[in-house]
Amino acid sequence: MSGGYRQQPGSPGKVTRKDGKRVAGKQAFPPPGSGGSKPTMAPRDLDFIPELVGGREAQPAGAHVHDRARTGTSVGKPTALVDSNAKVTGQAWYGDDVRLANEVIGKILRSPHHYARIKSIDTSKVEALPGVLAVATGADSPHQFGVLPVTKDEHAMAVDKVRHVGDLVASVAAVDEATAMAALNLFEVEYEVLEPVFDPKKGLEDVDEPIHWRGKYHLARTNVQKRVFQEFGDRSLVQKPLASSHGKWKMAGVHHGFTEPHAVVAHWGPNGRLQLYTPQQVPHYTHRALATVLDVPMHQINVIRTFVGGGFGGKSDPFPHEMCAAILSRKAGRPVRITFDREEVYWINRGRHPSHIEVKMTADDDARISGFDIDALIDGGGFASFGHVTSYYNGVLATAPYELGSFHYTGARVWTNKPASGAMRGHGAVNTRCAVEVGLDEMADQMKVDPMDLRLANLLPPHSRTISGFRITSNGMREALEKVREGSQWDTKFRQMPLGKGIGIGCGFFISGSGLPIHWDPNRFPHATVHIQVDMDGGVTVHTGAADIGQGSTTAIAQVVSEVLALPLEMIHVKCHESDTSPVDLGSYSSRVTFMNANAAIRAALEIREQLLKAAWEILGYHPNNLVLNDRRIYYKHDPAIGTSYLKALHKAQEDKGALIASGAYRSPPMGGVHKGAAAGLAPAYSFSAYVAEVDVDVETGMIKCTKVWAAHDCGKALNPLAVKGQIIGSCHMGLGQVLSEKMVYGRTGHLQNPNLLDYKIPSVHEMPHVEPIIVESCDPEGPFGAKEAGEGPLLPILPAVVNAVYDAIGIRLRDLPLTPDVVFKGIEKGMKAAGVDDPLDLAPPRVEHGELQPLLVKRAAEHKIRDQARQRSEDTSPYVNGVLFGFDPNIPLEDQVEGWRMATEPDPEQLAALGLAGKAWLKKEQRHMGGDE
Amino acid sequence: MVGTEHVEMIPVAKKEIWSAEVNGRPVEVLAPSNAILLDVLRDKVGTLGVKRGCDLGTCGCCSVLIDGTPRLSCLCLAGQVEGSSIITVEGLSEGAHLAPIQSCFAEYGGSQCGFCTPGFLVTAQALLNENNNPSDKEVANAIEGNLCRCTGYQQIVESIQAAAAIHRGEVEPAAPASDPHPDPHPTGPEEPQMPPGHAR
Ligand code: FES
Ligand code: FES
Repeated sequence: MSGGYRQQPGSPGKVTRKDGKRVAGKQAFPPPGSGGSKPTMAPRDLDFIPELVGGREAQPAGAHVHDRARTGTSVGKPTALVDSNAKVTGQAWYGDDVRLANEVIGKILRSPHHYARIKSIDTSKVEALPGVLAVATGADSPHQFGVLPVTKDEHAMAVDKVRHVGDLVASVAAVDEATAMAALNLFEVEYEVLEPVFDPKKGLEDVDEPIHWRGKYHLARTNVQKRVFQEFGDRSLVQKPLASSHGKWKMAGVHHGFTEPHAVVAHWGPNGRLQLYTPQQVPHYTHRALATVLDVPMHQINVIRTFVGGGFGGKSDPFPHEMCAAILSRKAGRPVRITFDREEVYWINRGRHPSHIEVKMTADDDARISGFDIDALIDGGGFASFGHVTSYYNGVLATAPYELGSFHYTGARVWTNKPASGAMRGHGAVNTRCAVEVGLDEMADQMKVDPMDLRLANLLPPHSRTISGFRITSNGMREALEKVREGSQWDTKFRQMPLGKGIGIGCGFFISGSGLPIHWDPNRFPHATVHIQVDMDGGVTVHTGAADIGQGSTTAIAQVVSEVLALPLEMIHVKCHESDTSPVDLGSYSSRVTFMNANAAIRAALEIREQLLKAAWEILGYHPNNLVLNDRRIYYKHDPAIGTSYLKALHKAQEDKGALIASGAYRSPPMGGVHKGAAAGLAPAYSFSAYVAEVDVDVETGMIKCTKVWAAHDCGKALNPLAVKGQIIGSCHMGLGQVLSEKMVYGRTGHLQNPNLLDYKIPSVHEMPHVEPIIVESCDPEGPFGAKEAGEGPLLPILPAVVNAVYDAIGIRLRDLPLTPDVVFKGIEKGMKAAGVDDPLDLAPPRVEHGELQPLLVKRAAEHKIRDQARQRSEDTSPYVNGVLFGFDPNIPLEDQVEGWRMATEPDPEQLAALGLAGKAWLKKEQRHMGGDE
Repeated sequence: MVGTEHVEMIPVAKKEIWSAEVNGRPVEVLAPSNAILLDVLRDKVGTLGVKRGCDLGTCGCCSVLIDGTPRLSCLCLAGQVEGSSIITVEGLSEGAHLAPIQSCFAEYGGSQCGFCTPGFLVTAQALLNENNNPSDKEVANAIEGNLCRCTGYQQIVESIQAAAAIHRGEVEPAAPASDPHPDPHPTGPEEPQMPPGHAR
């Protein structure tokens, strides 16, 4: 400012002279931080600054460690994705859009047999075809890989055996697609066909030739890939229940159905380095697998993650075609591009496991949930993929949000001769969650209570421990339930609507980042690292390995940096595509990206901020504690007129070192128990959700239409409400597909019959109900600005909500997903027989008369609400473990106070006879002496 | 293709010159006479914004406007549309100035992973060209052939409605991001002078 007068605080209105001239020393005080008399800088947005640090943003959950870093710049504001302009102009580059000069086209020869031994492959005719530049077979890729270090069972191309129709046999690179296709016809492969297994139940039996050998841990001669047993609590509680539910479920396998088919471009450069362009959620695992398979050190490989056209877990394994492209490129000396057609996408699969799930549950006289007894047999297909983890998740992720008297889980994952199942949005938790929530509804019916109140009266509070030892931090479950109850006008609709119209409730619980990084010890190396660099012009470059797959993680990271440094979003540039320039990151799975990377980014940004404030201290003479950082200006807290510009402070800070550089990391705190499998399902925070769905069922055709969904999700703190809502609605879409129409159909001969988007029924715009996304903010103490995941958890509750709504509409419990019209109508026919009516229109929808337990539950829920609020706000910090509801003392280990409390990861011999379907895997002995192709 | 279930390759067709007007510019490329429009656009013309999601007419990612009508380029022989005017997603914006439909998709969350977005954009643009005041039902009818796995369509419909409002002139379009916009604080906001005693 040139004038040189002192700005004084004063009240506006009194200071302007009649002639409009401003008077020195008397003019209105500009909004704090507006940059003095020339308010070119945005004033502080107090609505987005927490109350406890002087803003107006409500904080029902109390203080958060990151409160002081809030500047009201970006966090909490609906923000367009930073890369959206590239997407809407068609300039975003997905896998197949990478076109390098001189590229050649790779194609893959796939197995026509479900299960066969390859006796010989003759490639001489292929090699002789003009235009063919490289041919590769299993002989070129002897090393095994797999996403989990414990189950590496894949080869780039089949070595010895093919394990499902569509398994990779060989690959070829040629000058154009037509030549490559023609070349595929010239492979001469001799197979010896083996006896395939399709039914997962058969997978538990001994066979001559198991699909894989687990080395010395193989279970007899079965196809069991993983078996799990977990038991916690006091099993005597389940005797003499007041109510019980027993459901046997069959859930079809579903596929992610992302719109972008897999594609990869590999290029071995002239100096021996490999550049691999691939739409990957988890580029780092691909990086590792490439190094193993190709026998080169990791630093000789640059994995470049292209834009990802949808992942949902389906692009999170290192894939054999990525290896093929690299092998072909090494041979051809030219860039090789392999793009899948839609059918190939289904051959590589990694979708949700087809499952047989059995759930028994009981409630005691006080309507407390005395036991969950879950048995899950899941069909893994030809490879292990993430299956080791899925086997656990099917059980352990059902241990919350309710307080349980006891928990018993047996799970088994078997290999079958089908495309491999793997991780898909809501990994492992979706199917059991559906079964459990429907069981609760059934018990509520038996006890004549409202299922809403049954849930509200049995919730674990914030800051507690589940029966299996998971550490729950913030917990917005109660609020979510209350919000959907109110929004949907539940109390006037439930069990009161006419035949064919129904309303149902479902809850969800999901991890926000897996507590254990798969490849290393979390105590020695952090989960996520972010680098920040600020150059002379003030622009900020953020380097992260976080893989944005459309969920908006890049945006979230830009937002948190912008928030901490109080810079507009366009000054933040996130570089996240190349492994050469970004710090190692585990990738986008288990809903960890925003949670962990944003935490790391905040840490790095705080370091930069500290250096800036120190520089400002030198300039202004005020201690950083008394300085405020706002839109490109740093000023004295009590007199905003005293300040310096961001740039001046920056240059001061840079005086001796050039660019400012900082690195931040996040590691999860040590948590959880020590029993076998204790790490599965451990997370630094958990998300909660509750949905209410309304459906119309046409009782004459069995056609279901979901008409409206109220979806409340506790994401801790919505960094970007626009993206959170998008995730909630998108999850509803995907879950609705699974519950109503989507399934991978395997015919009698085990052949996948619908590997295309016409026969695999993904809901179109007409099948989508209106979704009312409701964001619940519980402000997680561990999360970045309080945030938790919002990408996967929101999928879980929609399935049970719909199934329960269908019961409300027609009074029939269906347990065969998806609920296609034929399934529903079969149920209706059964219901008609049971009711003795001939016309489906005469069916009676269920009604309920509340029993004497109902007021008890309402009272308990009200008491617990007060308890929860105190705990959420840290007014009550006493320990709370699952079991307190049952009268146990949280300060004494449960095993010391409850006779019969047990924690077991292997069944007792006397239990063996009573185990469920998957539990049968425990009847088999490990073959310690066996070798095999491990 | 799976193993022995071979499709005998059709002998490669003769190459011919194919010409059309793509995004307002005349193009001439050499393509086999039986080439699919999608392949020609992606591989020869270079409009990689046209996406291939299925090749079977089931996803809508490959939608382009042919003489103003949305069509699936994967189900269209290039020869059939010889000489016509084709608009792909690259042709929606004016220079670097995004069309309303584009900026609204960004702003209202109509695009998550973005792979389906080009298809939705051209389909929606065709709708808005004819009807700048569509009901939600009409919007749904227009985009029923487009598959989106990320958004659940709701925010797509909202984006299209927001763009319709701009087309009707009710809302000002956003300023283009690429317009010159000098740094408002080239050296930081101008500073008020320090009061005596405070400055160093
Ligand atoms: S690629 Fe044309 S509709 Fe899918
Ligand atoms: S935004 Fe990903 S498919 Fe539509």
